[in-house]
Formats: sequence, C-alpha cells, structure tokens
Amino acid sequence: MKNFFLLACATILFATGSFSQKYFTKTAKIDFDATSASSPEKITGVNRSGTCVVDTKNGNMQFAVLMKGFAFERALMEEHFNENYVESHKFPKAEFKGDLKDNDKINYSKDGTYTVKIKGKLTMHGESNDVETEAKIVIQNGKINAVADFSVKLADYKVAIPGLVADKVSKVAKISVSCSLELFKG
Amino acid sequence: MKRKKIIRYIVLPLLVVIAAVAFYIYKEYNRAHKDTSKLKPDYSIAAADLVKEFETNEQASNKKYWDKIIRVEGMVKDLTQDDKGFYSIVLGDTSIMSSVRCSIDSVHSNDAALVKKGTVIAVKGICSGFNADELLGSDVILVRSVIDSKK
Repeated sequence: MKNFFLLACATILFATGSFSQKYFTKTAKIDFDATSASSPEKITGVNRSGTCVVDTKNGNMQFAVLMKGFAFERALMEEHFNENYVESHKFPKAEFKGDLKDNDKINYSKDGTYTVKIKGKLTMHGESNDVETEAKIVIQNGKINAVADFSVKLADYKVAIPGLVADKVSKVAKISVSCSLELFKG
Repeated sequence: MKRKKIIRYIVLPLLVVIAAVAFYIYKEYNRAHKDTSKLKPDYSIAAADLVKEFETNEQASNKKYWDKIIRVEGMVKDLTQDDKGFYSIVLGDTSIMSSVRCSIDSVHSNDAALVKKGTVIAVKGICSGFNADELLGSDVILVRSVIDSKK
C-alpha cells in the first residue's frame, strides 16, 4: 500500500514535470492592417494583450485575443471595427489553435534561429478557418521570440464590408503577430 | 423677383444644411478617443472581486462590464513596458494566478513609469473582456487605462 502511494506520488511528479515544457506570454502584440491599395488613409489596429501558450514537447500552440482590445487611431474607426465589422459584443474573442510543424527540429535549450511552418484553425466572428503560415522563432537566453505574418480573407469570417467604404477597406486583412514567450513555472 | 425668392428660401437654407452636414462628418471622422482620466467610472471595484465575478459567471459579467469604464483598486503584481514603450500594469493578489491586466494609454505613460510593484493603486480603464485560461490564470483586460489615484 505504501509502495503504491509512493508510486502514485512519483507518477504525479513526473506528469507535472512534463507539463513544465510550456512557454507563455500574456502580452503578445497583434497588428491588424486592412488598408486597401487605393485607400488614402491607413486602416490599422493594434492589440498588445494577446495570450499565447506553446508546448515545446509536441509543438501545440494556442493563441487568444480580445477583439475589443484592438486600438485604432481614429475613435470612429475603432467603433466601426467593433460594432459593424467584427461585432465584438457578440464575439468577444479570437482564438487560434495549431501546431508548429517540425517542432522536433527546434532545440529549445540552445540559442538559435528557426523558420517553421505553423498550421491551425483561427476562430473569429463565430467562424473557423484553416490558417497556414511561416513563423520566425529566435531562442535566446531561455526565451522564445516569435514573429509571424499571415492574411485572412474577411469574407471567410463573414465580415461584411459596406459598399461605401469598399475602396478603402481591403478584402484581405494582414495580421502580424510578435511575442516573447517565457517558461511557464506552474 | 421669383428667382430671388427661390434663392432666398430654397438655395440658401440648402447650402447651410450641406455645410452643417459636412462639418459634422468632418468632426466625427477626426474625432479623437476620449481621455479615460476625464471620464466618470461606471463601476468601482477591488481587483480580486472583479476577477472573482468573471470567474463565477463570465457571461453575466461580460454583459455588465464590457465596454464600461471601471475603476479597479488592487496591488501592483507586475509592471511591464514593451519595446515601443507601452506600459501594462497587472493588478491582483499574488497568491492567485488570475488578475486584472491594464494596458496604459500612451498619453499617460509618464504616470505609469512611477508605479512601484507591491503598492496598492487604482486604475481606471475600459473593460474589453475576460481571457479565461486554466493554465495561466484568467485575466480581466482593461484598455486605454489611466492611473486614477495613488495610495
């Protein structure tokens, strides 16, 4: 019985040990750019409080960001973004769940730079779509710095653009993500 | 004579209306964000209580607090500055993972620079929702925040 208890303890310890391979941040920066080529002004927003968790054991990654947290220079633009486009009162959060491909090629315990493929699902405005992109990962002093750019077709997420501003708002939004992840000590 | 009347009673008022509309559109288009420090809070609450409310019932709390101006009082758990100089302040109890994260309005960066970890302060900001995460701890997020009064 005592042995069994010890074994159970060891199992739990081992299990939690393998959990500590997670890296995280709560201050990921997400830039949103829907400026169309013919627009005289920039249609850009930035969010600095994205949450990201990467499990370096299997390359799983999760990303979450609150839509209302995107800041635009013009108050009117920000209101339109929230109320008419992404309807953030109905869909407050955007989420990405995916994997780092070739995760086993990355040595997280040594400084280095990698370019890896990321594949996953982005959920926004109540719609989910596959997203694939490349990310640049820099490992430095036990931290992971990651940057990735990708584009989303607004129609894929049922975000409608009124005809009046169709020449200003691009049909494809460019998203840039940059974050610095640190080891999770749970 | 008739032509003069038309100008006086139709064309002139029309021009005035067009000018007024144009002025309104111009003003509205260029409208700046309101400075949170000048806004009256809709709610005033302790950081731990706000987090608890969201943890107990996220939906109801979202309805109550989302897009509202909240004054939150709590202990400064962390103060960070990103590469562009933007500050965020994390308020809450160090014994729990969950907290209130406030991104500080860049106009008020100077006030944030003076904040010290471990002190109790009040922050006023606009609630953008709740980021629930079992592993990392869940956070209530305030944007465009300002430091209200130091204690």
